[in-house]
Amino acid sequence: MAENVIAVENINKSFGSVRAVRDLSFEVRANTCFGFLGPNGAGKTTMMKMLYGRCTRDRKSPGRMDIFGYDPMRNELAIKYLSGVVPQENNLDEELNVIQNLMIYARFYQMPLKAARERIAQLLDFLELSEKARSKIRELSGGMKRRLVIARALLNNPRLLILDEPTTGLDPQVRHLIWDKLRQLKKQGTTVLLTTHYMDEAFQICDVVLIMHKGRKVLQDNPRNLLEKNTEEYVLELFDPDSVKSLSGHNLLEHVRMDSSQEIARLYSDNVEHLKTLAAALEGGHFFLRQANLEDVFLRATGRALNDKQ
Amino acid sequence: MTSSKPRIYPPLYQRLYSVWYRHMRVYTKNLFSNGLPPFLEPIIFLAGVGLGLGKYITESMEGLRYIEFLGMGLMVTTAMFTSAFECSFGTFVRLEFQKVYDGMLAAPVTVNNLIIGEMIWAGTKGLFFSFSVLCILSAFGIVSLPRGLLAPLVGFITAVMFSSLSLLVTSFVKNINHFNFYFTGFISPMFFFSGVVFPVSNLPPYVRPVAEFVPLTHAVRLVRAVCTGGYRGHLLLDVLYIAAFTVVVGWFAIKRLRKRLVS
Repeated sequence: MAENVIAVENINKSFGSVRAVRDLSFEVRANTCFGFLGPNGAGKTTMMKMLYGRCTRDRKSPGRMDIFGYDPMRNELAIKYLSGVVPQENNLDEELNVIQNLMIYARFYQMPLKAARERIAQLLDFLELSEKARSKIRELSGGMKRRLVIARALLNNPRLLILDEPTTGLDPQVRHLIWDKLRQLKKQGTTVLLTTHYMDEAFQICDVVLIMHKGRKVLQDNPRNLLEKNTEEYVLELFDPDSVKSLSGHNLLEHVRMDSSQEIARLYSDNVEHLKTLAAALEGGHFFLRQANLEDVFLRATGRALNDKQ
Repeated sequence: MTSSKPRIYPPLYQRLYSVWYRHMRVYTKNLFSNGLPPFLEPIIFLAGVGLGLGKYITESMEGLRYIEFLGMGLMVTTAMFTSAFECSFGTFVRLEFQKVYDGMLAAPVTVNNLIIGEMIWAGTKGLFFSFSVLCILSAFGIVSLPRGLLAPLVGFITAVMFSSLSLLVTSFVKNINHFNFYFTGFISPMFFFSGVVFPVSNLPPYVRPVAEFVPLTHAVRLVRAVCTGGYRGHLLLDVLYIAAFTVVVGWFAIKRLRKRLVS
């Protein structure tokens, strides 16, 4: 079995009276992709920042953190040297062009000039940005900027790549491209750690998903197991809540789990025939019968109510 | 270092250099618009004095012609202004709007490295701005070379001193417009009351201690001594003041900015 790259035990983090991370423990194996999934304000970013010293864990609690054998409180520099970080917001230097943006970061890793140039050419090629090498930052699209920030994080051949919402706000093509690149990196031996609130992203690229809610770990498993263990196999979605009433008293209702909000009702069951029968019994209203996905697990695990950060 | 493992990340000088290099690259990207005004400003100032104001001021100040007296002072005020702007508005924009530090602090650099690199960069700008004034002054024969070549070094330490103060101010500022208070309330008055435009000795006795308390006065005294070769024992006190001010205020600035950068 592969070794653990990250081991976190019982970590807490408070901002004043707000407990952003509560008693969180997890381990990340080398060459895997580990995803934090949770609504805004769940503590995902805070947890990631604690790993590379941008955020300090509560000292009062007895927790432990080990990243490549280093504790971020003591050896943040060693961890930063071995890791690449893609922050939530792109922060490129608008005054400089694409290559120059990367060249200034090569200094931080004390890369010799020639090696830096070669590495940059290689990374621009890898992220399909070679044509834009001399472009100004404001000439880049959102997806290109994001890829450039990823290239910057990869400069020093990091063993660990940390990405905070890598594909938020990007179009489907770019998202798939980034996912492909992350899969390739994993194959090449990079451990990937990311936060996301996209279920499909977690499902596509993560080997392990940790669902966080209000600073706590709610579930952790590989995406397929999460699906199998935590939700029924099929969902019947009813887009007209009034049509649900027409089902009242139906004997099959006892065998399905119902979860309804104002605009939509969802009936969950492992037996697709039950749902089909119910759908047939509906009097009007649109419905959609589908397989359950990670979103259903997520909504079930984190609850439907919005918190004040969403 | 508490770990027994060998150091794998770049040494301190490289980390400071990287921060400095980033700022230098971004600044020199617009070399023309950033690099020309420092040369024009002293020309305008000296023209104003030489063509107009100067003929009303016939009295010598501290044994110097007025144009010499003022010109030497300008070599440190220009360093003060550039450093104060760089480490207030400049730092704030990098911190809050551009999120530049988010990227830099993900590289192997600590908050201390980042802030000290920032101060060295401000010092470098001060050095350059002082040097531009020196070029103009020496071209008009107001300051003689090679003696005056030490003046940009005074510009450097002046700028570092004001970077520490400006960073401390920045650590308190939540709204970028609040810097106006710093400039109107502190930086601009210093220009007039620190012995740049007239000798501190002409101030009423009850104001003089204030002039001795503020940082610019000491930098002005130092730069005039350097330019005239008039070294005296009490200059040591000015040097000590500048060193102590930079270290103490810089320490508080780092301590406070750390809270803002590492939550």
